[in-house]
Amino acid sequence: MTFFAARDLTVRFGGLVALRGVDLELNQGEIWGLIGPNGAGKTSFVNAVTGVVRVVAGQVVFRGCRIDGRPPHEIARLGIGRTFQHVEIFGDQTVRTNVIVGLDRHVGYRFWSSALGLPATRRLEQQTTQEADGLLQAMGLGAYRDVLAKDLPFGILKRVDLARALAARPRLLLLDEPTSGMSEAEAEQVVETCRSLARDRGVTLLVIEHNMRVIMELADRLVVLHHGEKIAEGPPDAVQQNPRVIEAYLGTSPVRA
Amino acid sequence: MSPPQRVLILSACMVLLLAGPWLLGTYQQYLLNLVLVNIIIATGLNLLTGNAGQISLCHSSFVAIGAYATTLLYANVRLPFWLALPAGGLVAAACGALLGLPAIRLAGFYLALVTIGFLEVTQILVHELASVTGGVRGMLAPRPSVAGRLLATDLSLYYPVLAVTLGMLYAARNLRYSPLGRAFDAIRNSEAAAQALGIPIARIKLAAFTIAAFYAGVGGGLYAAVVGFIDPVEFGLWASVRHIIFIVVGGLGSVTGSVLGAAIITGLPEWLRRFQEYSDFVYGGLLLAFLVFMPRGIAGALADLRRGWHRSRARVAAIGSPSQ
Repeated sequence: MTFFAARDLTVRFGGLVALRGVDLELNQGEIWGLIGPNGAGKTSFVNAVTGVVRVVAGQVVFRGCRIDGRPPHEIARLGIGRTFQHVEIFGDQTVRTNVIVGLDRHVGYRFWSSALGLPATRRLEQQTTQEADGLLQAMGLGAYRDVLAKDLPFGILKRVDLARALAARPRLLLLDEPTSGMSEAEAEQVVETCRSLARDRGVTLLVIEHNMRVIMELADRLVVLHHGEKIAEGPPDAVQQNPRVIEAYLGTSPVRA
Repeated sequence: MSPPQRVLILSACMVLLLAGPWLLGTYQQYLLNLVLVNIIIATGLNLLTGNAGQISLCHSSFVAIGAYATTLLYANVRLPFWLALPAGGLVAAACGALLGLPAIRLAGFYLALVTIGFLEVTQILVHELASVTGGVRGMLAPRPSVAGRLLATDLSLYYPVLAVTLGMLYAARNLRYSPLGRAFDAIRNSEAAAQALGIPIARIKLAAFTIAAFYAGVGGGLYAAVVGFIDPVEFGLWASVRHIIFIVVGGLGSVTGSVLGAAIITGLPEWLRRFQEYSDFVYGGLLLAFLVFMPRGIAGALADLRRGWHRSRARVAAIGSPSQ
């Protein structure tokens, strides 16, 4: 069974073609890097896979089912999680509540037993809170759990975003520049987290990243987009040497020293 | 607060709530019942607007629907009042879901317009269906009874109304800290993030509209019983704005805020009786002042105060301890 495949994926915004016939196949437990110059269509790819923007042509297959055309929340429930380039955090909620919202997907809404405050619901709430605290501890966010998210700096919010996405227990996680706004040490910690996710929990990662050092170190394989088209794919070393990639990043005219 | 302190404060509040009204005059007892009714109404609107972030200018229509449905079921169908009341709430909730179906596709300005449209339609229906609703002349609402005893005085009506209010507040508080309540807050903060976590935005908004309408409907049913008369003029746009003032002054997104806002704004006209002809001015000014200077309302300010107090206490403790 195909774990994840995008086939001939095309996305258009009016006259602008954001993605043109992109093919990509991922296996479970792999870490992929998605790179390309600004405007290459990286975030559009994530948005298309998660159902936020409409796929004009082509298809997306996840664990054997077509998912293109489905609403975003259904795709999320099938096991595709994501983080955001510009953090989309629940600002006036605490860090802990942000993570609990991710966990809630597995609890369900149980309207009546919640409204009546039945003991079973209370126990469930306690469990959820404990689980959230454990996750925050593991992500090095334990100290911030009672802080309102809007009071935290960008680098920490990126980690909250990641923790929240993990709380929903995704099988495929799309990370949009997870280390932006972070110090080298913090970025290193995120790299470690990603590695252990893939290795220990079998989560497949597709990471958009501008920090080349980070992505070369992290990714098993790279895919390069340029003007909405895939121009290269393969192991990091090979992609780095690919003349089309060098051209996309640096241009064709010779650089004079 | 330590647990014994909490028990002490809670029991003091209970004693005050149970015994206090005996010390009041009949008019104040009547006013107190109105406060309770408005607390229920405000709590529903606060879940919808303060938590789920959906603006509604037709909350008063659901109050009206609840008032008419409850009274008709009680007076004409001869259902016991305490069955007619939740049934009236359910009728309002059904209408809330009906409004929600188009409303969940809209946001901001367009949503506000649709809710004003709903308000107008409700007003017109009340006028046109005069054979049922009494039209512009209004409708008498008979007093409810408990176990065959008619609740003729405001004081006797106070206790069942208080019980319903406390029950509705308890449910609202529980919902706030449940997956559904967190989903409300999530979609207000970021729909993009909410749906990426598997939250079905449309269904959650629909739930918010339905629950808010249920609260308004129950509030409406009790309102009719407390006042003894349904006057359709009471459910216009101005009433809806007043409900919004309740939650803005009290504190958006907070159950405590709904209670404080409804209590203060319901009592306000009594204190301001001398300035009666300027009341629109006072309310408008209040709404503006709170939105600009205290956007989280009184409950928000209290929460900040408490947090500041805890922090300064922690600092004092830290300075006092030798390890620091």
